Amino acid sequence: MTMETDDEKGYGTRRRELPPISHVQKHGPRALPSLPSQDTTDEIQVPKKKKKKKVKQEEETESVRGPKDGGIEMGGLASPRQSESREPLTPEPPENLPQRKKKKKKAEAVDQDGDQANLVLNGDMADQNSDEETTRKPKKKKKTKPKATESDPELGIEDDDIITGPAQPPIPQHALFSAPQGQSQPVAKVFVERGRRFQPAERTDRHGPSNQTEHNFMDVQSTWTTRDVSVRVHRGFRVIGLFCHGFLAGYSFWNIIVLYILAGDQLSALSNLLQQYCILAYPAQCLFYFLLALSTVSAFDRVNLARGPHAIRSFLTFEPVALASFLYFSALVLSLSQQMTSDRINLYRSANASLWLPGSEHSVLYPWIIVNLVVTLLVGLAWILLSTTPDVDHTEESLMAMNIEFPSLEEKGSVTA
Amino acid sequence: MLQTNNYSLVLLIQLSLLAFDLFVNSFSELLRAAPVIQLVLFIIQDIAVLFNVIIILLMMFNTYVFQVGLLSLLLERFRALLVLSAVYLTLSICLHCWIMNLRWMESNRFVWTDGLQVLFVFQRIAAVLYYYLYKRSTEYLGDPRLYEECPWLRDAFARARL
Repeated sequence: MTMETDDEKGYGTRRRELPPISHVQKHGPRALPSLPSQDTTDEIQVPKKKKKKKVKQEEETESVRGPKDGGIEMGGLASPRQSESREPLTPEPPENLPQRKKKKKKAEAVDQDGDQANLVLNGDMADQNSDEETTRKPKKKKKTKPKATESDPELGIEDDDIITGPAQPPIPQHALFSAPQGQSQPVAKVFVERGRRFQPAERTDRHGPSNQTEHNFMDVQSTWTTRDVSVRVHRGFRVIGLFCHGFLAGYSFWNIIVLYILAGDQLSALSNLLQQYCILAYPAQCLFYFLLALSTVSAFDRVNLARGPHAIRSFLTFEPVALASFLYFSALVLSLSQQMTSDRINLYRSANASLWLPGSEHSVLYPWIIVNLVVTLLVGLAWILLSTTPDVDHTEESLMAMNIEFPSLEEKGSVTA
Repeated sequence: MLQTNNYSLVLLIQLSLLAFDLFVNSFSELLRAAPVIQLVLFIIQDIAVLFNVIIILLMMFNTYVFQVGLLSLLLERFRALLVLSAVYLTLSICLHCWIMNLRWMESNRFVWTDGLQVLFVFQRIAAVLYYYLYKRSTEYLGDPRLYEECPWLRDAFARARL
């Protein structure tokens, strides 16, 4: 009775305490004789009862025969599954065998928690006579199930065979038959198709180069700072500036040649110049401003004009870049000063007679041609000066100096002190 | 800390606005056949200058130097740009108003006077200086020292306290 109370109290938690006192229960097996089996859905329980019945009969015969059956137990290894399940079993002296089997039986009834090893162990006990029984096991279970549940009291099954667990987990069917479920281990080799054949190759070899390039690319991306972006933009603009310097020099040279050719010898054909050049005058002026603006900005960049003292020193020492920037700026002012005249030439055909009075061409065009000539000379000279020192760029030097200089350990110590 | 991507994007926007400004300054005289087109171009140009000034001010406010209160350090570096931007914007608006006023009724006529010529020259020269200073300032605002504490900033702070 004490066992019953124990069972009632902690059925689920104290199951493992039951087997050692199985003999006590054997004395009072009819205390709870006709407990209806609640696990009618349990497919494995009932066949076991049958098997246990068989085992009981065998025990009786064994008790009659004596300790022979130890040999049977050890010798019934036919299928590999049986051999696996029997591996943990160790041979014992034959005197203990009946008792041990009873214990196993109890343990089997109590420990039906879906453990595959236990299940196979029980199966071993039942199927030790023949191998065929073990192979037909699933079929038998299904067929005998309803009968067994109905004839529980009649067959006189021991109460400890009936399991009234609240929620017994169903034993997974696949556990008996499936292969051991271990996680597949990745092999260090990869099979690569080469010439219609798969050949093993090292995983690291295959992914090495691409990973490395990706890694390098990420490194480059991550190590880019705002200073690098600034320097890159500045260098890009310097390339544009270099192009503009040359283009402007060539364009102004072409422009002045065209002017002198159209104006004729000693500027004797100014009306011809006006007729021919009036279409080109304003676009040429606009293009001049565009190129001069770019060239001037580029030249100022070279000198780093915004740093006043440094720029003045450059001018005083007649540095080529300083002179060039001065020349470009002068050319820009001179060119802009001719905006009015350029527009006047542009309107030569369409404007009324008041804009171009007869005989006023020379007084208007002569300074304009001279200014254009001066601009050409300035631009050409500036281009020559810049081309002599193409590498000098004081702005880039100061941009490169935009580094966070962390003090060395010694300096750090002195600072903190 | 200023992110490189953000800085690149802002730099691209600024340089694009500058390029548009240069284009309008250079070739707007050729597009004067329809006064409306010129008017729209001038309006966009002035707004672009304003945008550029706002962007560079926001970049300055974003610096660690500004946030710790070393405004004088920033002004020392970028004062010329701020002054010239204001001058250039003023000159541009004045010139645009004047030219549009003269050419609105008849676009293809001779409108130049000495005053307009002088204003034109000053506006264009200011534009070139503005381009130079603005480009330089945007590049200098990529200085990592402006965005975190460093010995250079500590020295500047010490000098500012003296």
